[in-house]
Amino acid sequence: MQSFIRKPLAVASSIWIFLLLVAFVRPSILATHATTFSDTTFAFDKPSSQHFFGRGQVGEDLYSFAVYGGQNAVRSILIAVGIGALVGVPLGLISAWAGGRIDRATMWLVDLLFSIPVIMLAIAIVAILGSGITSAMVGIGFAMITRFARITRAAALAEKEELYIDAAKITGLSSFTTMRRYIFPNLIPTLVVQVAILSSIVILIGTGLSAIGVGAERDDADWGAMILRASENSLSEGYWLFFPACLPLLLTIVSLNLLGDALRDSYVPSGSVTSLTSTRRTAKTTTADLDVIDRAALFSVASLSVEFPTAKKQSPKKVLHDITFSVKKGEVLGVVGESGSGKSITMLASAGLLPAPGQITQGSTYFDGRDLTTATEKQWQKIRGNDIGYIFQEPIASLNPALTVGNQLIEPLLVHTDLTKKEARAKAEELLAEVRIPDPASRMKQYPHEFSGGMAQRVGIAMALACEPKLLIADEPTTALDVTVQGQILDLLSDIQTRRDMAIIFVTHDLGVIAEIADQVIVMYAGQVVEQASAENIFSSPTHPYTQALLATMPQNHSGDVDKPLTVIEGTVPSQTSIDAGCQFAPRCTYVQEQCTVTLPTLTLVGGSTVACLRAEELQSEVVNLTVSSTEKVTQ
Amino acid sequence: MLELDNLHVRYTPTKKLLSPAAKPVKALNGVSFSLGPGQTMGLVGESGSGKSTLAKAILKLTDVHSGAINFEGQDVTQLNRKDSLSFRKNVQGVLQDPYSSLNPLHDVGVIVGDPITRHLGIKRRDTRNQRVRELLTLVGLSADFLERKPHQLSGGQRQRVSIARALAVEPKLLIADEATSALDVSIQSQIINLLKKIQQEKQLALLFIAHDLEVVKHIATDVGVMYLGYLVELGKTETLYSEPTHPYTKMLLASIPVPNPKQQEKRKALRQSFINAEPPSPSNLPMGCPFANRCPVAMDICKKEMPDPTVTANGFSRCHLHTSGPKLDGETVVDFIKKQAHT
Amino acid sequence: MAKYITFRFLSLLPLLFAVSVVSFSLAVIGEKVNGSIAVQKCAEDTSPTCVATIEKNLGIDKPLRHRFVSWFSDALQGDLGISNQTNGPVSELLLEGFWPTFSIVGLSLVLGVSLGIAVGIFSGTKPGGARDTVTSVLSTSFLATPSYVIGIFLSFLIATKLGWVNPTRYTPTEDGYFEWFKSIILPAASLALPTMAIIQRQLRSSMASALQSRYVLAARARGVSRNALVAKHALPNAMIPTLTVIGIRVAASIGITLVVERVFGLNGLGVILSDAVTNNDIPVIQGAMLLVATLVLLVNLLIDIAYGFLNPKVRLENG
Ligand SMILES: Nc1ncnc2c1ncn2[C@@H]1O[C@H](COP(=O)(O)OP(=O)(O)O)[C@@H](O)[C@H]1O
Ligand code: SF4
Ligand code: SF4
Ligand SMILES: [Mg+2]
Repeated sequence: MQSFIRKPLAVASSIWIFLLLVAFVRPSILATHATTFSDTTFAFDKPSSQHFFGRGQVGEDLYSFAVYGGQNAVRSILIAVGIGALVGVPLGLISAWAGGRIDRATMWLVDLLFSIPVIMLAIAIVAILGSGITSAMVGIGFAMITRFARITRAAALAEKEELYIDAAKITGLSSFTTMRRYIFPNLIPTLVVQVAILSSIVILIGTGLSAIGVGAERDDADWGAMILRASENSLSEGYWLFFPACLPLLLTIVSLNLLGDALRDSYVPSGSVTSLTSTRRTAKTTTADLDVIDRAALFSVASLSVEFPTAKKQSPKKVLHDITFSVKKGEVLGVVGESGSGKSITMLASAGLLPAPGQITQGSTYFDGRDLTTATEKQWQKIRGNDIGYIFQEPIASLNPALTVGNQLIEPLLVHTDLTKKEARAKAEELLAEVRIPDPASRMKQYPHEFSGGMAQRVGIAMALACEPKLLIADEPTTALDVTVQGQILDLLSDIQTRRDMAIIFVTHDLGVIAEIADQVIVMYAGQVVEQASAENIFSSPTHPYTQALLATMPQNHSGDVDKPLTVIEGTVPSQTSIDAGCQFAPRCTYVQEQCTVTLPTLTLVGGSTVACLRAEELQSEVVNLTVSSTEKVTQ
Repeated sequence: MLELDNLHVRYTPTKKLLSPAAKPVKALNGVSFSLGPGQTMGLVGESGSGKSTLAKAILKLTDVHSGAINFEGQDVTQLNRKDSLSFRKNVQGVLQDPYSSLNPLHDVGVIVGDPITRHLGIKRRDTRNQRVRELLTLVGLSADFLERKPHQLSGGQRQRVSIARALAVEPKLLIADEATSALDVSIQSQIINLLKKIQQEKQLALLFIAHDLEVVKHIATDVGVMYLGYLVELGKTETLYSEPTHPYTKMLLASIPVPNPKQQEKRKALRQSFINAEPPSPSNLPMGCPFANRCPVAMDICKKEMPDPTVTANGFSRCHLHTSGPKLDGETVVDFIKKQAHT
Repeated sequence: MAKYITFRFLSLLPLLFAVSVVSFSLAVIGEKVNGSIAVQKCAEDTSPTCVATIEKNLGIDKPLRHRFVSWFSDALQGDLGISNQTNGPVSELLLEGFWPTFSIVGLSLVLGVSLGIAVGIFSGTKPGGARDTVTSVLSTSFLATPSYVIGIFLSFLIATKLGWVNPTRYTPTEDGYFEWFKSIILPAASLALPTMAIIQRQLRSSMASALQSRYVLAARARGVSRNALVAKHALPNAMIPTLTVIGIRVAASIGITLVVERVFGLNGLGVILSDAVTNNDIPVIQGAMLLVATLVLLVNLLIDIAYGFLNPKVRLENG
């Protein structure tokens, strides 16, 4: 609601609608003359201080006519939208709820009526019931039934799919109650918005009908009738005659539309539309970064920090803080952490794909001896898909549903190589065979929705590998897949990795997967790297309390009796990085001390691992090795 | 208490004019098992194996094609209205997605309180809220969550609210369909411990569905393994994990990665012994065993005949390695083949 | 695809039949409310045989079922009965009005849809930018302005003030395409501006969401250029909801032309219909309804087919 009030246009619209309602209830407050007032000697007088909008054919006061016309406008809305909503909404609800035959029959009828334009339907009804604004409005109301029924049904069907409707049924709600208490209230926002929009359509059409003499009587105080009279005299008396009717008409329609928009925005927290490319980097490579940059590495990211601006004037949301890591040629770097720890944003930002409105506030990227920190989108286009391949978590959503798989698969080849379309197709088929998709030629012609998740992920891999990249970034490529399929994908990746001597950054939240595939590991928590070590060290001597806790909480590492509760990490993952309050893990850490909430730990080398914990050294010397003892118990 | 007898569920696509009737998707094919009070049964399988359909069928959220679901001696599929309500009181569910299973417009007090009013007839606000507070405490949330809306809660907290809602009417059977799958590991363990504690305290029967075998191991007394709508193996938890009988169960177990590089290497080798193939479509199931195209030990008979459930040391298994029958003189197929080879 | 089109075409037939039933029942309801034409015509004639004779001549003394069958079979052959007012065949009357109306709607759709798509892409690829703001303001104002008001303004500015074109009569194409174009461009433009605004708005928002999708991100990660992202990846998907909007707009345009024609004094269906209403000429209205609904249904069929082209799921599931 607050966002609503803050919009000046919405406020102005509300004021106009309020005036219109006053004109409906008591027009005499706003009008200066009665509609019966006339004096033909002053016909077509131009506007004056007595007659703000001038005078009409019989010397009537056009301003007052416009006010009384407002009365007609509101009445039209009440009749037409009233009929439409009262019949259409229940019809749509019943149709959605009943489904099956009833639904199909109702919608067939509604679609049938929908094919007759509103104005045509209204004309027909007027012809039967005799002219007059009421019969025109009944006609429009009929047409509005179809609009309301369609919208209600669509919204109710979407609502019906929601799990909480199932949950409501489980608690024993009857169909009717579910509809009344769960579905209908959730439709109200949509319906309110529709009432505003359809009201504007009713006014538009109703006035139009009266303007051609099918509707209000010619001499009525009605905006349409006023337009009709103006059009009869505009050639001789001037076009200003249209003004008294058109001004309130336009204001009403604009207000209703703006109100509809504003209501929609206030109900649905506006998914602010963002632009295609992220904002330019504000940071340049600093000398400090140059120290941390690992020049021997293939890909190296130093001190990367990312923020998302927040609504209002609050401080931006810090999402990544000072991330540094590197991958050597032919090495697999595992990145692990719970959801929201910043793994995806790190990878996207490192590949120049940070979604807007995210902003890189500091950090540099080196790839294959090149400084990419300030690379432009054009330069990135040459690198991505060519030297750096990328695989995403949701394999099917990452394929364009409107294009064949083959069409997308040849894309990197066409963009980055000199192959002709035909050659690219042949090569793409080879790639599909390489990722072990049976019958590549016919698979190329299929669309993404014909692929299972596992098959789609193989396509994703084939696409990323098409131009033989030196580095493959795989962001949770197996998370959405079954364990059995995950195994196949892991086999495939490690097979290709060894054959091509390619580096992989493999993001996952599953330490088991890390154990299988990674050489080096970084552990992330709340937008920071908390531990970096070789895979061997991570599992044999995890040092950071978070790494230890992550390992301990895995059901596989549960030690002792099955009846003993699982080890847990109390509390929840923070939703944003707050580097001011010391160690981010402090609220959940078993080893927390007072200093932890004051000083922000930085990555330091402790034994074989780089760890961001103030007590790392103490902890490593103590034997807190939960894991070694417990993993031995895992049966084969 | 709960008994499933040869349960079949099919999803029939709506028939379109002029186009030939599409084949129905066979989501459940003759599932039978029983669950007693205080018992926890885990149900595992790949996506599409029919786990959620089974939960929906028991919760009366989907139509049953044939077979019976008996709860305390009554067939759930044939209930009248009155019995239906009392069934709802006794059988509750916690659904998969913590984000869409709570009505965004209601606050926690209403979400948890609603079933209390409906089933226990408590209408007074303060008594009802008192009860809701107790429930919230039970699931580890403080009482001031009463006035919060779902969007103010984290995934783990939402799932706790769902559990509180399910427990509000003191059910005898609780069905948790992938109740922890959407949660982080650290939160997942919290919820598992909670469910287990409540199950033991209240002596509930619990049907715990998950795709993660490791999670199930820590909560279930018995585990069922599903594949393409068939319950292919059922057994006591301890024995099922140490001595799985069905090749599919073995494959699932071999696919879970262990967080230990050395052990994982061995497990990986085991996993690679299975055949890398796509499962058949549930609307076009083969005549024989649906696992045959992925099974490393498939025999000729497997392609022709669907094996019946056969009693094994720890439960039952639907695999020709264990079928025995008049044709085989009471021997398992394997023994039979071995003997044939010797003669 | 052929099967899909056939399927769509066949499913049109029951709809057309139902539209005929609706149109036919208009006359019946009209009779019930106002008395039959015979009764109205014999208002002055007091002779007892008057009503019966006219009813017999018009064939409206028979049972409803028979009347529908003969009306329907006539309609199939293009005979929509006799106008009460002109006593000429309804089909000729409608045909005369059909061409102006059809030309205006057709031209307005061609202009409105093509401009709407162009501007939609233009603003949708950089939401929030300066050009987006400008186009948004413009389209919001066009969106809210009724076509007939735009028409009034255009006829004031272009016809009266500037005197460039001054349509008062529809000029058929036989008199030259340019003359034809001149006679309908103003009403067509009046209709086209809101059409453009509606399509631009829809395309802008679906374009923006397509550009934020996973598959566009994935395509960017393959090094696909900006233009290809827009044209090849985002546009086909963004056009799917836009098509639905176009379909709705076609029906609305046909309705609104009836009013716009009057503003310009063009002798299309609008004039014929409003005269018919004044004279209670039900056969004309009946025929017009059948004609207009058939037209809308045909256009929707085309849209459905285009939909099938853009959305492989729809196409593959239906044939
Ligand atoms: N568009 C965005 N606007 C604001 N915050 C975002 C956006 N995208 C991601 N975040 C935040 O960034 C943090 C890291 O997210 P992400 O990289 O997706 O984590 P992970 O991949 O480890 O699950 C989270 O707190 C998330 O809420
Ligand atoms: S710094 Fe303190 S709170 Fe943070 S992980 Fe180390 S011991 Fe725990
Ligand atoms: S029945 Fe045959 S194919 Fe099926 S699991 Fe057993 S051995 Fe394998
Ligand atoms: Mg992620």
